[in-house]
Amino acid sequence: MKICAYNIDSLNNLNVLRKAKQYCKSGMITKEQWTNIQAAYKSDSFSPNIFIRILLFIAAFVALCGVTALLAIPFISIVEDAIFILCILYGIGSFVLLDLIFVKKLKNYKSGVTEMLLYHSVGFTIGGFIGMTDGNIPFSFIVSFLVLSVAAIRYIDFVTTVAAILTAASFLFYILAEIGGWAEKLIPFAFIVFFLGTYFIAKKNKKKSELYLWRNCLEILEVFSLLFIYIGGNYLVVRELSVQMMNMMLEAGHDIPFAIVFYSLTVLVPVVYIFLGVRNKDITLIRIGVIALFFTVFTFKYYYSLGHPEITFTIGGLILTGVAIYLLNYLKIIRNGYTREQLIAEKWTSLNAEAFIISQTMGGNQHHVHTDKGVEFGGGGGFDGGGAGRDF
Amino acid sequence: MSFQPTYKQLFDKQLVDEKQFQQLEAIESGKLISVFYELRTLLYLGVLLLSTGIGILIYENIGSIGHIVSVILIAALCVICFVYTFKKQEGYSRAKLNSPSPYFDYVLLLGCLLFISVLGYLQFLFNILEYVEAMTLVTAVFFFFIAYRLDHLGVLSLAITAFASFWGLSISFQNWYSSDVFASNNLYIIAIVFGLALACTSLILERRNIKAHFTFSYINYCSLLFFVGTDIGLFSMRGSTVWICVLLQLAGAGAIIYYAKNIAKSFLFLVYGVVFGYIAFSYLLTIIIPSGAEILWAYYLLLSCGGFIFFIIKYRNYFKREE
Repeated sequence: MKICAYNIDSLNNLNVLRKAKQYCKSGMITKEQWTNIQAAYKSDSFSPNIFIRILLFIAAFVALCGVTALLAIPFISIVEDAIFILCILYGIGSFVLLDLIFVKKLKNYKSGVTEMLLYHSVGFTIGGFIGMTDGNIPFSFIVSFLVLSVAAIRYIDFVTTVAAILTAASFLFYILAEIGGWAEKLIPFAFIVFFLGTYFIAKKNKKKSELYLWRNCLEILEVFSLLFIYIGGNYLVVRELSVQMMNMMLEAGHDIPFAIVFYSLTVLVPVVYIFLGVRNKDITLIRIGVIALFFTVFTFKYYYSLGHPEITFTIGGLILTGVAIYLLNYLKIIRNGYTREQLIAEKWTSLNAEAFIISQTMGGNQHHVHTDKGVEFGGGGGFDGGGAGRDF
Repeated sequence: MSFQPTYKQLFDKQLVDEKQFQQLEAIESGKLISVFYELRTLLYLGVLLLSTGIGILIYENIGSIGHIVSVILIAALCVICFVYTFKKQEGYSRAKLNSPSPYFDYVLLLGCLLFISVLGYLQFLFNILEYVEAMTLVTAVFFFFIAYRLDHLGVLSLAITAFASFWGLSISFQNWYSSDVFASNNLYIIAIVFGLALACTSLILERRNIKAHFTFSYINYCSLLFFVGTDIGLFSMRGSTVWICVLLQLAGAGAIIYYAKNIAKSFLFLVYGVVFGYIAFSYLLTIIIPSGAEILWAYYLLLSCGGFIFFIIKYRNYFKREE
């Protein structure tokens, strides 16, 4: 059996066509060249745009609900054990349907139907196995990880990639917490070491031409490894997890073991990320570094707050705006390979999407600004605006 | 099986020339890095934090600074923002204008947020609660003016939101989620009428070539308001209301599918049309299918959605990405 479910030549052609279209849109190649490329690279894959994908995803979900209901009715009275075996068979059956009909015959590639069917099969297979072992936790973790990894690799799927990484992380946490004692205290360091390993594996293999089709999966692994390295050493996370999950009692004046180590890691990791990112021109490192830096500020504010969030907001806003304006001016000309200009138009960003996000985070609660007697001045409610823009 | 990156493949097949290859290689291999979105995100967060912080600061220090002084302070800052933006964006045009500088969008946004602060503050100060509605209308009118004069989609959506909230509708997903979009009972009728009226207005404006690129935002808000309105009427279980809403929703779905396919060429609107049309049609079936025959529902879901999937896959060329 081949590793990748799709016809890889056709997939490569699709990738080339998409990239070339982006180049053409941003004016890097001429219209004539784009026509020639279209003639040279033909792809029979069915891979519709995001809106049709969402529509097909919903339709497949509803249709699968219908199928599941129809199949479940005759078996509803059967004893429990058999139900789990049937779940596994049903899960594997829909894998086969996905592979033979939708991928091989109808040449779907990330069409919305493929994703829905994949998550459906993964869900039933894993659910069946977990039910069969009657809640044996290590076994559940291993089965979940294996099924998710196979799905992620065979179908080049991003959601299952993330799920597989999270399963691995939870498993690592679970084992060490189960052993208890010294192992429990080593959890943060185990995370750092483990994800340093996966980070370097991802980074090294991302460039390999044999793994070109999986480069986005590897990029996801890279991002999550960096996040977990930071989270592993973050003081807030370590402290709160120690208190809540391992029932560690912290009396006044006492601190968690190795507190000073975690304080330093909380500060050092983002700084190192940003420094290495800027030096090696690694945009992923820079992005994660900046996000981590925000969380570091939050961590310190959480424990050493002066009780004046408005001053923090204002000063933070001033610093951010200042830094952004300074960099925008500084990068007017290309310096060390950095530029403030947009090089290739990304397909998901559009002014319309931006406008929608602005109205959801800044003006969505217009009415409240006026009726609450001005309690929420300015961009009131600006911070609970996450999750908006789901229609894009 | 191994593949080279796209730019290399294209160069090997002589589909791009050497100069283009070098350009593409510099970008794709990370020799040249664009921090366009990163800097914009930082600026956006900065403006958001700053306006929130200033708002709370002033509110908490009303006693010590004095009301008049603080109003004047924010108003002054607000005026500075607008003076800057009006200076930068020369003259009005019916066509699309590009933002004249990278800061333009953010200064304008800050100005608009401060404008809301000033108005809210004035209301707090003089306690003119009777005129809340009038205030929202003033905000809406002012924002519409700014959006058209300075050509800014973000301000346009602020204006639409303010205008809708003047009629008592608040367009926000948080409210929708907590199911108080339409706080009072018959608000869904206002939502339907408002959506229809504003959508028609925007189409007329587009026909006259006045800021034609604004139409997408208008139709997006209006269709959501319209369909949520008809949906609420649909599930209100009030005799004739239900029938009118079912018909309205089916008609609306048909109209927006036609509009999406033939005029706007927008897949987003197509999705709205199909989803809401399907909801209305399925609702009709609850009346036809007797309550004892749930298995018919399973067949219906399977056949309708399965049929839809195969329809799209069969006529896939219709749904190919647009050039």
